[in-house]
Amino acid sequence: MTKKTETIGAVAVIGGGIAGVQAALDLADMGYKIYVLEKSPTIGGVMAQLDKTFPTNDCSMCILSPKLVDCARHQNIEILTNTTVQTLEGTPGNFTIKAVKKPRYIDIEKCTSCGSCEKVCPISLPNSFEYGLVKRKAIYKPFPQAIPNAYVIDKEGDGKNRGCIDCMRCVKECKSGAINHEQTPENLSLQVGAVIIAAGSPPFDPVTKPEFGYRTYKNVLTSVEFERILSASGPTQGKILRPSDQKHPTKIAWVHCVGSRDASVNHEYCSAMCCMYTAKEAIIAKEHASDIEPTVFYIDVRSYGKDFDKYINRAKKEHHLRYIRSRISEITEEPKTKNLNIKYEDDTGDFKQETYDLVVLSVGLCGAGERRNELMDLLGFDANEFKYVRTSPEDPVVIKPGVFVAGSFLEPQAIPESVMQASAAAANAAALLKDSRGTLVKEKKYPLEKDVSTEKPRIGVFLCNCGINIGGYVDVPAVAEYIKTLPDVTFVETNVYTCSEDTQKKIVDAIKKYDLNRILVAACTPRTHEPLFQKSLRDAGLNPHLLEMTNIREQCSWVHMDEPKKATEKAKQLIAMTVAKTRFLQPIQEAEIPVLQKALVIGGGIAGMTAALSLADQGYETVLVEKEPKLGGYLHNVYYTVDGIDIPKLIKQMTEKITKHPLIKVHTESQVKSLNGYVGSYESEIQTPKETLSFTHGVIIIAVGANEYKPHTYHYNKDPRVLTQSELEKDLSVLTKEDIHDGETFVMIQCVESRDEKRPYCSRICCMQAVKNALKIKELNQRAEVFILYRDLMTYGFKEKYYKDAREKGVMFLQYDPEKKPEVDSKNGLIVKVHEPMIGDQLRIPADHLILSTGLQPNPDNPLIGKLLKVPVNDDGFFLEAHVKLRPVDFSTRGVFVAGNCHIPKFINESIYQAQAAAARAATILCKPTLKAEPNVAFVDDDLCSGCSICVSVCPYNAIERVEESKKEKTVIHAKVNEGLCQGCGTCVSACPSSAIQQRGFKDKQLLPMIEQLTKTK
Amino acid sequence: MTQKALKIKENDVVGSINDFLRQLLSSGKIQALLVPQSTPSKKVVYPVLIADPKKLHSDIIAPVLPVATATVVSKLTKVQPPSKPIGVVMRACQIRALVELVKLNQASLSNIIIIGVDCPGTFPINVYADFPEKKTPTHFLLETLLKKTKDADQYLRSACHVCKDPIPTNVDIVLGFYGIDLDKELIVEAHSEIGRELIKDIPLEEITDDKAREKAIKDQREMKDKQRAVFLKDKEGMKGIEKIAEFFDKCVNCHNCRQACPICYCKECLFDSAVFDAEAYKFIRRAENKGLFKLPSDALLFQLGRMNHMILSCVQCGLCEQACPNMIPLMEVFIPAAENAQKEFAYHPGKDKAEKIPMIVYREDEFLEVGEK
Repeated sequence: MTKKTETIGAVAVIGGGIAGVQAALDLADMGYKIYVLEKSPTIGGVMAQLDKTFPTNDCSMCILSPKLVDCARHQNIEILTNTTVQTLEGTPGNFTIKAVKKPRYIDIEKCTSCGSCEKVCPISLPNSFEYGLVKRKAIYKPFPQAIPNAYVIDKEGDGKNRGCIDCMRCVKECKSGAINHEQTPENLSLQVGAVIIAAGSPPFDPVTKPEFGYRTYKNVLTSVEFERILSASGPTQGKILRPSDQKHPTKIAWVHCVGSRDASVNHEYCSAMCCMYTAKEAIIAKEHASDIEPTVFYIDVRSYGKDFDKYINRAKKEHHLRYIRSRISEITEEPKTKNLNIKYEDDTGDFKQETYDLVVLSVGLCGAGERRNELMDLLGFDANEFKYVRTSPEDPVVIKPGVFVAGSFLEPQAIPESVMQASAAAANAAALLKDSRGTLVKEKKYPLEKDVSTEKPRIGVFLCNCGINIGGYVDVPAVAEYIKTLPDVTFVETNVYTCSEDTQKKIVDAIKKYDLNRILVAACTPRTHEPLFQKSLRDAGLNPHLLEMTNIREQCSWVHMDEPKKATEKAKQLIAMTVAKTRFLQPIQEAEIPVLQKALVIGGGIAGMTAALSLADQGYETVLVEKEPKLGGYLHNVYYTVDGIDIPKLIKQMTEKITKHPLIKVHTESQVKSLNGYVGSYESEIQTPKETLSFTHGVIIIAVGANEYKPHTYHYNKDPRVLTQSELEKDLSVLTKEDIHDGETFVMIQCVESRDEKRPYCSRICCMQAVKNALKIKELNQRAEVFILYRDLMTYGFKEKYYKDAREKGVMFLQYDPEKKPEVDSKNGLIVKVHEPMIGDQLRIPADHLILSTGLQPNPDNPLIGKLLKVPVNDDGFFLEAHVKLRPVDFSTRGVFVAGNCHIPKFINESIYQAQAAAARAATILCKPTLKAEPNVAFVDDDLCSGCSICVSVCPYNAIERVEESKKEKTVIHAKVNEGLCQGCGTCVSACPSSAIQQRGFKDKQLLPMIEQLTKTK
Repeated sequence: MTQKALKIKENDVVGSINDFLRQLLSSGKIQALLVPQSTPSKKVVYPVLIADPKKLHSDIIAPVLPVATATVVSKLTKVQPPSKPIGVVMRACQIRALVELVKLNQASLSNIIIIGVDCPGTFPINVYADFPEKKTPTHFLLETLLKKTKDADQYLRSACHVCKDPIPTNVDIVLGFYGIDLDKELIVEAHSEIGRELIKDIPLEEITDDKAREKAIKDQREMKDKQRAVFLKDKEGMKGIEKIAEFFDKCVNCHNCRQACPICYCKECLFDSAVFDAEAYKFIRRAENKGLFKLPSDALLFQLGRMNHMILSCVQCGLCEQACPNMIPLMEVFIPAAENAQKEFAYHPGKDKAEKIPMIVYREDEFLEVGEK
């Protein structure tokens, strides 16, 4: 009898940018069928167009591309490109999406992306991936790493230029018969249980701001165009050249807030990421050419994210970025030189003019929004005042039941927030569809593996021409003849495309016919293609690790195009080396790690409560440990919010849901005492007031929160009129109109003992807290006076509106220079003195109350917890995730996740979606009964190991321990690898002086023959 | 630190020390003592673990170091350290080696009482065994070296000739004779709580001149520094693979040096393993490649491989050189190599247990000139 399910175990993800890709991968890993509907011919979105990412300066494409490939390869993901949504009908758990898939005119199964079609195409069009800075053909591949990895024909053109003229030259040129000009639009109807909208938002087009001269002056670029200029694969190959004369500019200005924080274009919100990418672009530009003198015109530098403030300080100190606080009025061009004049008012009120070689407009991801509006109308979503989709702060990624949202479609934001929301959306979808998980995915059945470990090697070699990519430069038949002479080579075949579907069949047939037991494919890179060929080996009944690859494309033909003879020789030697290794290949069985499908959540604040509920709603037993007597954490210090969350109600509701949930067990006044094990099977001891409990579980979520920092300056604790923001908030929550008299003056100082050398991070929430409390004071008595002395007002995203609100209600905002901090005199009444640049003197404000914004400080136990769980904390004491951009809730240590204020201070809605994200990431592990360990793990020869533990110290994954064992009544000490933790990096192998530790697939006896082969002279 | 004087009775330095050691052992506070004690032939002294005070006839100043005491302590403690304290009498270089072995988890200091001895240097084992002078080497040493006549220098091993640190550190007790009138007394220093406890009940006297030792040590170091500078300057030309190959020409791949080295701790040296075994055709192929092929093939590779593995922890004890049957002056290569390599990592082997070996320390700013800028 099969279980009847009422929901459909499939999810449609609309939009294939980083948010869509993350949501798709999470859900596909959990066992749902995913349709990714992408309007353009490739997934990747805006992130694919970026050069580097802040604050780590990672190459954007390099970190994105593996995710795109994963998406393409995933058996549960179907990518539908050129596809636009038409209608969405149905109920949560059972929706019908109608969509139209425009023709690509290319069969993506057949296209090998060789590029010969492009060479013969006569039509040139502006390359939209490069923002029109260069041209492309009518038949084109959007960018080299595009997914699907196939060409596309542009029949429409762009209005000004016509598209394909049906000359059919490409058809003649294509050797794999992939081009079909007869394709027609396809109407799709998809049955899904849930929908995730991740349709993104285009960058702002500054054409509507004529004062900046964009498109009028050649040397005015947008920041996204400048990303392409910086990119090594961009139109100038990473050389910084200005468009008018292709000369190297030295004086470059960036202008902040173009198209954001701007009422004239109805964008009264902040785009949230531009301050940081501006600093990044300037730093990278200086790295490209040290003579560049970058100037940034800004209003506030909103460095509110993790390690952002340090990045900005480095930009100023080490890279000499010049920051000028001014909203510029106009850019004009000098007609002869095409240089640009910027007029601006400096902070003393003087008008100035400066000349630049190039101006970059820092535009937000807040473009005209047509696509967004269209989709919102089509799907009937409620819009907020900014014409973005409306969600509630308590359910930040839920548009309506069954329909979720992630990424810049929701609000302008940077990559980590998008990724977190994507995983959060996945968690919500998974909770809704938990009963139909795994119903629509198929698992492939493979034949039994044949044991060939003791057989004499019989190597089959498949040589790829890759169209003309290899064959055009390397004499492939000559290489084949040579390879046939090598020992143990039984069979050699050359293919036009070894990766094509028909060659896979040939490989399987050859293995069977010639009884091959080791396979070598000489083609492109194993990074993208190894899994494909490994599957072919499995289809033929061979262990997948009996495959080796030689890269004779990227590492040979492509780099030696001018010297075909030498390229042929090199190809021979490279393949001969791999043959030498292939002879010694042995099957590898990955360890199966059993997964206990239970979770431990540490910390019962909003993040911990949300994570526990999300996991339990997805069907996983969860234990929640909280050290205080009550759940709620820092929420108990929050009394009201600007977005109207009813905090007491929220705590009550969450607590009730959690305590009533059959899958959640709460331990208050409890702490985790010890922890053993690894991903899949942890065992922890929980100290409760009564007893010590033991709990076994598969994953851990850390959500231990943070506390308000108590200052030591400004007479705090000495003068009762001096309070912190939270203390003021508590007081205000019980005050009535009568309690505040007319003219009663509140002076708030931001960044107190924060963003300085001792605590060099921004706490993100304090500016909004000040604005919130200021608004509350004004609400209680409009005639009360509020001054906010600030450095940069971090009201990012839609929070900008509250800043504006406060200004309109008469709250006085005065910026201070951190070098000239406000001073307070308390002898005769409180006098706050602050330097005011406009009057060039100190302003003296008599105050009735002095309110200090001090921000949050991390839990002092974090380093200890980190040690227990084998996860790192950063210099500031907050937990350090695996990757600040793309793995914002994961740790490098598999199986441990982070959410809430212990990661960095954040708002309630942010903690909620991060906690849901952590639950989703945890569920990708919990959903399976077992985990496969890495195949190429290290292993120890006990007889050789002296137990010196160098390997233990150098292992970045804490995967090795020193053990004492009894062997034949003797104590033997040696290192032992935990295959559950080992990631196969090989660091231990190179560190071991005794050669006692080796790595599967890279043993000395496999590698030394390669060296011997190479050093052999004929 | 507590400093006391041990009176020399009847002009018998060795005997007086033995009386002291017997008292230590008889006190019941330690269960055994590892001391250098003559073999019955009196040709050489070896580390001997003594449980019965009556069997104790050590010669701790005998100028010879046949085997690495650090290796012996490693053997004693690695599998399971003793449950009650044992005392080990060691020279400075061997204590340094022991500290390195502790860092490498090859030895334990649990229940190990280190009794360091001021080291005037040692003679090669063959010189000691068939000593050309009329006196025993110990007497010769006492009369010449310690009385600041230079005659003993001629017999010192090269490592001892340039030894920059003959004074033991990281110890519980030191038996010292630098700056002391050995006709009258010997210095006993307690460097740790347990050291003080051990000498508490042994009759010792106050020392007569506490400044003299300090000065003598300073003089000794200055002298060695000069000798070392000359030695290092002479070896500056030892650069380039040809010179190195020529230097190791006499190496017959016996691996005695690795056996003697206190730092070489691998259970089985890679070069003793089957890694370099090959079928005959491979050797022939190698011969065909270049027309000829020297055998054994891996002597130089062994020397450089061993150096690569141990040089950062090299304490310059020179036991490798003493072990070489063909008298290759290994110190001429290993001392400069150790100095340079250790300087690169600002590493001081044997100085401090807490100083991590460079192999396990990651520093972002290290060797920037090697990588990308």
